[in-house]
Amino acid sequence: MNSVVAGITYRAVLGRRRVLLLILLPLLLIGLAVLLRAIGSTDENATIKLMQIYAIGMMLPLLGLIAGTGTIAPEIDDGTIIHLLSKPISRPSIAVTKFAVAASLLVLFAAVPTYIAAYIVLGNEAGIATGFGLGALVGGIAYAGVFLFLGVVTRHAVTVGIIYAVVWEGLVGQYVPGAGNLSIQQWAQTFAAQFVTSNFFKSSVGMGFAVPAVLIVTIGSVVWAGQRLRSISLTGEE
Amino acid sequence: MSEPSPATAAAQASPAAPTGVIHDIGYRHYEGPRLGRGAALVALTIQSLRGVFGLGRTARAKIMPFLIGGTMMLPAVVSIALMAVVKQRGVAYPSYALIMQAVLAVFLAAQSPYLVAPDLRFRVLPLYLSRPVTTADYIAAKLAAMALAMFLLIAVPLTVLYAGELLVDLDGPPQTKEYFAALATGVIFAVLLASVGVAIASFTPRRGLGVAAVIAVYLLTSAISGVLVGVLMSVSRDSAAAWAWLINPFFLVDAVQVWLFGTSPNNDGGYPEGVGGPVALAAILVVIALSVTALALRYRKAASS
Repeated sequence: MNSVVAGITYRAVLGRRRVLLLILLPLLLIGLAVLLRAIGSTDENATIKLMQIYAIGMMLPLLGLIAGTGTIAPEIDDGTIIHLLSKPISRPSIAVTKFAVAASLLVLFAAVPTYIAAYIVLGNEAGIATGFGLGALVGGIAYAGVFLFLGVVTRHAVTVGIIYAVVWEGLVGQYVPGAGNLSIQQWAQTFAAQFVTSNFFKSSVGMGFAVPAVLIVTIGSVVWAGQRLRSISLTGEE
Repeated sequence: MSEPSPATAAAQASPAAPTGVIHDIGYRHYEGPRLGRGAALVALTIQSLRGVFGLGRTARAKIMPFLIGGTMMLPAVVSIALMAVVKQRGVAYPSYALIMQAVLAVFLAAQSPYLVAPDLRFRVLPLYLSRPVTTADYIAAKLAAMALAMFLLIAVPLTVLYAGELLVDLDGPPQTKEYFAALATGVIFAVLLASVGVAIASFTPRRGLGVAAVIAVYLLTSAISGVLVGVLMSVSRDSAAAWAWLINPFFLVDAVQVWLFGTSPNNDGGYPEGVGGPVALAAILVVIALSVTALALRYRKAASS
């Protein structure tokens, strides 16, 4: 961890147009929550739909993609990462710092709004707000690690990331039940299910699988990203 | 004091006369026909269209478009196999683009920033504009290229499927009407998606952020539509739910398809009766017009910088 690197990264992510997307998505989630309240759909089913489809199914991977790749991929793209890498800071510690920044952004822009939105619709009935807040927190941290790693290994990190999030987790996950085991969204829902007591919600992956999976994927991604940074080659654009 | 040389003397005699000379240093002159603005527009369109599929670019740039193009073919191949082996229809023509909407959205997101972002990022727009091409031509060429690419992505699998149906020769007449309805809808899909995708992508010179922004719009609209439909259906407000479907751009186009060609809806519950179709078509036209306006404004600014 290095506070100067963290400060520079925060400024780079929050100072550009990227931040507009980071703010827009949670704002719309809270807007939808207010709308549901206004039309009187304040039951468990509606809240869980909002959480499953919007918060966990769409917002979390998208914010993970923007924050996770945004902390490092633009610098690699520009070649300005060379200034950072030529300083006497260990490369794995740079990766850990960037991961910490991405994870903290996801807590702020994904997990907290998820809790607030669920709370607006339903209070903390049936543990939905706490459960999905926790799910978004864990899922956000895992996404931050994975997408940071993608940002280090490929120039097409965002494209590869959306193919994972949209095609694998979304499309394949709907038709092939086994695909859910390798889906961060499903793991996030497993964590949510620890608190949610509603009958409308069931998670498809067991806790015994989800906990080690999240730990291995997150730590593995950050460590591997750090190793890749030790021998990164900066090639020109296409 | 030495005598001034004749050249200096001449310069002193008439200081206002131009002194620069263009030397002929032996480059070959172009003496062929000057093709003008129309040909430049066509060339830029074709060049952009090839680039969308990675043709004329590195092997790495070809992976993504061909992977996605291959994925688009899968349902057609599976359907032909179904027709040949168990004499049963697989995917219906009007459902094709709807079933594959996530794949189409990923292609749009992955490839539309390529069309506009590098030119903005490396500030080469003035180079285009120093030729007969105008900003309007540039926008038209980029939009046409993306729309053609999206149309190809939809039309090629449909055509393969139709050819397969004719060859397998199932009982009953071939579904020619459905095939052409799906092709016509494909044109609407292509123009709508291309204009929205290119317009969003043109606002950032960074490719990664452009990809994220385009997919964000698709995921956002489909998630909002999904949440509202789910909630409204669960409280039995089916007519409001029918409107909520239209927030997703793919179902918006499907509503027009249902209205124009009488195909069966591809969502559960159908679209708003009566004015639903015309309203959907008007919404599509408004979105296209807004996107093109946004592009025009964006490039008026970009061209002057």
